[in-house]
Amino acid sequence: MSGFVHYWLSTLDPLSNAGFSLAFPKLMITPLPHWWLLAVLPFVFMVFPSVAVWIVYVMKPSSIRPPLPAVPDQALPFVSVVIAGRNESETIGECIRAALLCGYPNLEVVFVDDNSEDNTVAVARRAALTATGSGRDGNRVRIFPSPRRNGKPSSLNIGIRMARGEFIIIIDADTILAYGSVQHWLVPFRDPKVGAVAANIRVNNSAKCLLTRFQEIEYALKTSNKVFQARFNLLYIISGMGGMFRAEILRRLGGYDTGLGDDRDLTTMIRKQRWKLALSVDAVVWTTCPETVNHLAKQRARWRRNVVKICISKHRDLYVPGRYGLANFMVAIEVLARIIIPLAVAAALFWTIFESGPLGAPEIISSIYWITILYLFMKMMIARDISNSPVLKNFLLAFLFPFYMLFIVQASQIYAEITELFRIGSKHYYVPDHIWEEIPWW
Amino acid sequence: MCFRHGSSSCRLFSTVERPVTERRETNGEVSAVARRRLDLLRQISDAGGTLSPLAEPNGKYGYRYPVAGDNVEDDLGSLLERNYLEARFCDRVSLCPRCGSHHLNVREVCPSCRSAYLTSEGLFHHFRCGYVGIPSEFIRLGDRGYRCPKCNGTMRHLGTEYDRLGRAFVCRGCGVISENPPVEAVCLSCRTRVAADKMVSTVVFGYVLSSRGAAAVRAGSFFNEAEELPTLEGAPIYKRPIILQFLEQEFKRRERLNSKFAVLLARFIQDGTDQGAAPSATEWLGRLRDCLRDVDLVGQLTAALYIVILPDAGPRDAESMRRGIAAKLGPQSPLDLSTPDIANQRDLAELLLLA
Repeated sequence: MSGFVHYWLSTLDPLSNAGFSLAFPKLMITPLPHWWLLAVLPFVFMVFPSVAVWIVYVMKPSSIRPPLPAVPDQALPFVSVVIAGRNESETIGECIRAALLCGYPNLEVVFVDDNSEDNTVAVARRAALTATGSGRDGNRVRIFPSPRRNGKPSSLNIGIRMARGEFIIIIDADTILAYGSVQHWLVPFRDPKVGAVAANIRVNNSAKCLLTRFQEIEYALKTSNKVFQARFNLLYIISGMGGMFRAEILRRLGGYDTGLGDDRDLTTMIRKQRWKLALSVDAVVWTTCPETVNHLAKQRARWRRNVVKICISKHRDLYVPGRYGLANFMVAIEVLARIIIPLAVAAALFWTIFESGPLGAPEIISSIYWITILYLFMKMMIARDISNSPVLKNFLLAFLFPFYMLFIVQASQIYAEITELFRIGSKHYYVPDHIWEEIPWW
Repeated sequence: MCFRHGSSSCRLFSTVERPVTERRETNGEVSAVARRRLDLLRQISDAGGTLSPLAEPNGKYGYRYPVAGDNVEDDLGSLLERNYLEARFCDRVSLCPRCGSHHLNVREVCPSCRSAYLTSEGLFHHFRCGYVGIPSEFIRLGDRGYRCPKCNGTMRHLGTEYDRLGRAFVCRGCGVISENPPVEAVCLSCRTRVAADKMVSTVVFGYVLSSRGAAAVRAGSFFNEAEELPTLEGAPIYKRPIILQFLEQEFKRRERLNSKFAVLLARFIQDGTDQGAAPSATEWLGRLRDCLRDVDLVGQLTAALYIVILPDAGPRDAESMRRGIAAKLGPQSPLDLSTPDIANQRDLAELLLLA
């Protein structure tokens, strides 16, 4: 065992013959499918979209970050910011103030309180008063305290019904709109086929701890991927943390369906209506990330269960070729791939270790590690160039980032996939009982 | 015209005592107003000492005072200001900021289209699909409940299949739903639309006869307020009887407590030329007051002679202060300052005779 550890540690040195410099060529000439599974496939999924986006960005920056058109204030469309929250007294005040003071003149805020047990409503009303000042401006904020807990989708539906805007922004109660973001958010809607636009989500509390720094890197890496997906109409989610929609679409759909995964479900429904989805890199919203491993694992497990529930169960008709178009079919396949690939990689790893014997495993593991680091640095630099994130001092965390993804994110996701597929504990505490009992989807 | 000095350029008299002069010149008119107000007090007294407004749609603010008749608000305000009456709150009336009318139609309006065509409805929430809408959007199935317009599911049981999310105002014009719609008023007189926070308001009072008012009714006349004041109108100058009392007090203190004091005489001299925009006598006296200490007392002995009592000051202090004050007032000052030696009340009497 000690010999194994010593050998593995020696292979971590990329300059040694046993390390990456030797392992990478070995992978290329191996007759086994290692090369494809450990180097080519991750490159195609992880790095190629970012590289392609970066090349386009370097050649024509305005195609990725279009400049703001000169529009007089009177011509700006009316935008409603809909927020739903429960027991969010610590964050809702800042959220409402930021929305009102984001520099967009033609905007209202609708906050629906999902029967909070703390003083969320009082904080929201105070924030509305302090941010608007006068009684006339007070009409810019409308607060609906729900008399019964109904869950987030239903609360958002109330907000959508109350919203007056031509466009509706949906954000979480712990999200902060950056100044000037709404103007940028509206730019992709010049294309009449665009039905919804995702925001560039940044981490507000990234300096809090190591875990939030990792999440900042993760969100930044996702942004460049989303740019690629949006360019090819493959964007499959408008995050609930920050998304702008045409109000007519939301009203025509009847708002969100109840249950988990409101954002992914809604995005899928919009895609089925053949609307295009876009991303605005300059529409920045700041979100507060989990600061403990337990909280983060629960969050990721919830998200992954939603993927399984929505994409495999509720919207499985997406896998029928031709029913909703090629793009939607590809999106469905990609989502499926995102579930299967981690499992396949894990299987390939075990297969390789089993085949190579105990002394061969360190070489493979170190190969995977250094390949990942190489790809990661490439993606981080591209993300940094396009969206100014992650911050430079977080670059050093790239060496630890694979462990964060493997032992926290992937582990919780694989756990969630297995439990969801076997219907273990599928009822989530986020959904009230009286709603859960009526949901027909699962 | 200075009645006392026979000179039209006596600016002292024309400023400090002008109100008295004016009262004399408009004596007939003032008397008519005073009579009317005294009658008003008598009416209130006869009605039990209380004047309560009654609701009257055609009244000025929607109220009228039954005993007193119409258009008495100004008289009541004047009597209240002079403490002949005490006010009792009755109501607060909102008025149109444009025409002042109280004929306002106050109602909630749609925050989007400003229409007042709002209905208060309980929103339905269908648990199965999460749809939220007003009841009229759901298809009524007779006694079997409703049908959801989103998922086409039936909603039979309130509380288990669907719920009411409290009441909200729904605009029948544009369909916007709002929890707390803004309040707006339309003036029925001039059709002006005004937001609730822009409406002006006034308070309608009832009145109670005060003890001073009751005394005026008994005496059959108002009190002369100018005579009741210890100082001259418009200037911080004590009247002659008051300042002489202070002076007498200082004499007593000097005899009993061996304290000292000095006096400063200020004689107002007019050169007879037109002064144009030069400062008035009141302003000069104000400047003199500013040069003195807080404890110093200024009073009027005659129309043109003023005395300043300087407590805790000797003759040398007084002379020093006189020079300082003269320097501050400047050479164009019409006040001739002197520091007479007044050792006892006999000296004072001689001084008054000379004045």
